[in-house]
Amino acid sequence: MAGLTVEDLSIDIAGASVVDGVSFSVGGGEVMALVGESGCGKSLTAFALLGLLPDAAEVTQGHILLDGLDLASLSERELRRLRGSKLSIIFQEPTASLDPLATIGSQIAEAYRLHHKVSRREALAKARAMLVSVGIPDPDRRLTQYPFELSGGMCQRVMIAIALICGPDILIADEPTTALDVTIQAQILDLMKQLVAERGTGIVLITHDMGVVADIADRVAVMYAGRIAEIGPVDDIFAQPSHPYTALLLASVPRLDVSPKERLATIDGSVPSPERFGPGCRFNERCPLADGRCRIDTPPLLAHRPGHFSACWHADRVSEIARAAA
Amino acid sequence: MNGVTPVLELNDVAVHFGARASLFKPLPSPVRAVDGIDLSVAPGETVGLVGESGCGKSTLSNAIVGLLRPTRGSIRIQGQEIAGANTALLRVVRRNVQMIFQDPALSLNPRATIGSAIAEPLAVHGIARGQALKDRVANLLEQVGLKAEHAARYPHQFSGGQRQRVVIARALALEPALVVCDEPVSALDVSVRAQILNLLVDLQRRMGVSYLFVSHDLAVVRHICDRVAVMYLGRIVELASRDTLFSNPRHYYTRALMASVLEPDPVAQRAKTRSMLSGELPSPSNVPSGCAFHTRCPAATAVCTAERPELTVRPDGALVACHHA
Ligand SMILES: Nc1ncnc2c1ncn2[C@@H]1O[C@H](COP(=O)(O)OP(=O)(O)OP(=O)(O)O)[C@@H](O)[C@H]1O
Ligand SMILES: Nc1ncnc2c1ncn2[C@@H]1O[C@H](COP(=O)(O)OP(=O)(O)O)[C@@H](O)[C@H]1O
Ligand code: SF4
Ligand SMILES: [Mg+2]
Ligand SMILES: [Mg+2]
Repeated sequence: MAGLTVEDLSIDIAGASVVDGVSFSVGGGEVMALVGESGCGKSLTAFALLGLLPDAAEVTQGHILLDGLDLASLSERELRRLRGSKLSIIFQEPTASLDPLATIGSQIAEAYRLHHKVSRREALAKARAMLVSVGIPDPDRRLTQYPFELSGGMCQRVMIAIALICGPDILIADEPTTALDVTIQAQILDLMKQLVAERGTGIVLITHDMGVVADIADRVAVMYAGRIAEIGPVDDIFAQPSHPYTALLLASVPRLDVSPKERLATIDGSVPSPERFGPGCRFNERCPLADGRCRIDTPPLLAHRPGHFSACWHADRVSEIARAAA
Repeated sequence: MNGVTPVLELNDVAVHFGARASLFKPLPSPVRAVDGIDLSVAPGETVGLVGESGCGKSTLSNAIVGLLRPTRGSIRIQGQEIAGANTALLRVVRRNVQMIFQDPALSLNPRATIGSAIAEPLAVHGIARGQALKDRVANLLEQVGLKAEHAARYPHQFSGGQRQRVVIARALALEPALVVCDEPVSALDVSVRAQILNLLVDLQRRMGVSYLFVSHDLAVVRHICDRVAVMYLGRIVELASRDTLFSNPRHYYTRALMASVLEPDPVAQRAKTRSMLSGELPSPSNVPSGCAFHTRCPAATAVCTAERPELTVRPDGALVACHHA
């Protein structure tokens, strides 16, 4: 299959199962959003896709397929060739992922030369064109500047330029706009939409912001405590959430049609840390629908509508939560 | 304000930072982080302060709570001037103003129990001792949704949301008239954010405290504020009641901010037209002439480059600083 497919991925850290049986796919020209609160395993999933997991983390099962090719069957050299050329990542913290001692121009050009045998001059010309296409004004001056001379929004554009210079098929973006102002966030999201429309890039976008999801995603996977709670088309998920966690997340965001200072729906407690993940549904401690079975048995991901799956023993009662919160 | 003394009254408040030349970038002119703010907060009112990163929100907040000295202007807390006041008066006045910062982890001492963190301001001001102090701490913990027995625990034993509750309990210990909240929920997870916003609203209803609420998040501001001030490069460009501002934003900058808010609703979001704001916030050490927003404004004309628009009042009470809005 064309695109990126993740099958039953599990990751352990120090004996705790931080990612457990995660499956999803993204095709060309499609945006798949991975949402969830901090500590749900979103970033580890992203790192695993590129074979960049920290030493402490171990993949215990599952496959990652790029255009049908299993990444586990590749040597480190082959993987390196793939990264950047077919599969690229933009990290959460833009300033931390740029080299403070190298000019913007040389960093973008190097990314190109890693995969193409061209002269520095040709690579720099390519870098300049890339800066223009990510909307950085005055590219000639920017090429010679260092990261500290750029704002957060501009550093993020440079990261995007580096990630895109080799024309990857799949872009993985981990919270690419979380550190930015709303005005700059809008510019970056529009840039990503343009990529999807014009180049047919497939994007895995990681975020905790339901507004970002609503703006850019075609499909959504909601993660909770290392597992996928719910996955499906964006309109379906927002209109008919089929997992209590999704329904409550949506209800807890202040929005236009909720009167001011009215109580917002809340979820009791907070995301448990991985060593505290218990048996059964990992959401059971915070779930208003939880019963005895939820505390013992893990609910499987089941289809409710075409392409829309959720893992909840009481998925048919989730609308009660949405109603109670309204 | 109809005879009621505002809890906070700012007149022409400015905070400039001295020019300091660095190895890489000589700074020829001072940073005008805050440059002439007039604003008041009534008892029991929540006033929002919004604007892009670097527009001066935290600098203004720090000046109000006395962490920074204003370069000029007057800051009155319950009618008393604090700009240039002596230390004895400041101590008395400051009891009435507390601050909550963005990151709860950084505002608590990791080696002190949360009970002693909350007791500290009460002890310092000689308000309670012994059993009375313990009772007051227990009561404050319950007010913010924690338990009395939590007093013996340390900050690391709590989640981010619980730590922010502790910070709120400590800020409320002296029953201040005003709490300046600088991004109080930005560092929290979405589900926990709602818990803390509900708590702030409950406490205001119960205790009548006023908030100056600084935030990037317009949806949060719309939810919790009675009036909203929009800041751009150290100045207020629009000030209006929440309903007026959100239903009829007038300044082009306010409109651009509103258009950038992402609704958590894919259908509504698709229908929305994005009025794109090009470019970024200019440096406050080199503020553009005339209307500081003219370099990014879609409606700018010659007069905008030449003359600074003053805040003028509109029929519905909104204050707007724009030649064309
Ligand atoms: N001590 C200082 N010395 C020099 N410049 C400063 C100092 N503190 C702040 N500034 C500058 O003043 C301006 C306003 O900063 P401030 O921290 O008030 O912004 P803010 O609106 O709170 O931004 P954010 O939304 O990022 O918190 C910025 O340009 C900042 O770089
Ligand atoms: N290098 C690491 N060592 C130990 N634990 C880690 C490491 N990286 C992540 N974790 C833990 O794994 C869980 C998932 O982390 P992460 O994928 O970063 O979450 P998210 O991106 O959803 O916020 C968290 O509980 C986190 O503390
Ligand atoms: S399986 Fe049970 S605990 Fe888990 S979300 Fe569904 S109802 Fe709640
Ligand atoms: Mg992360
Ligand atoms: Mg600030």
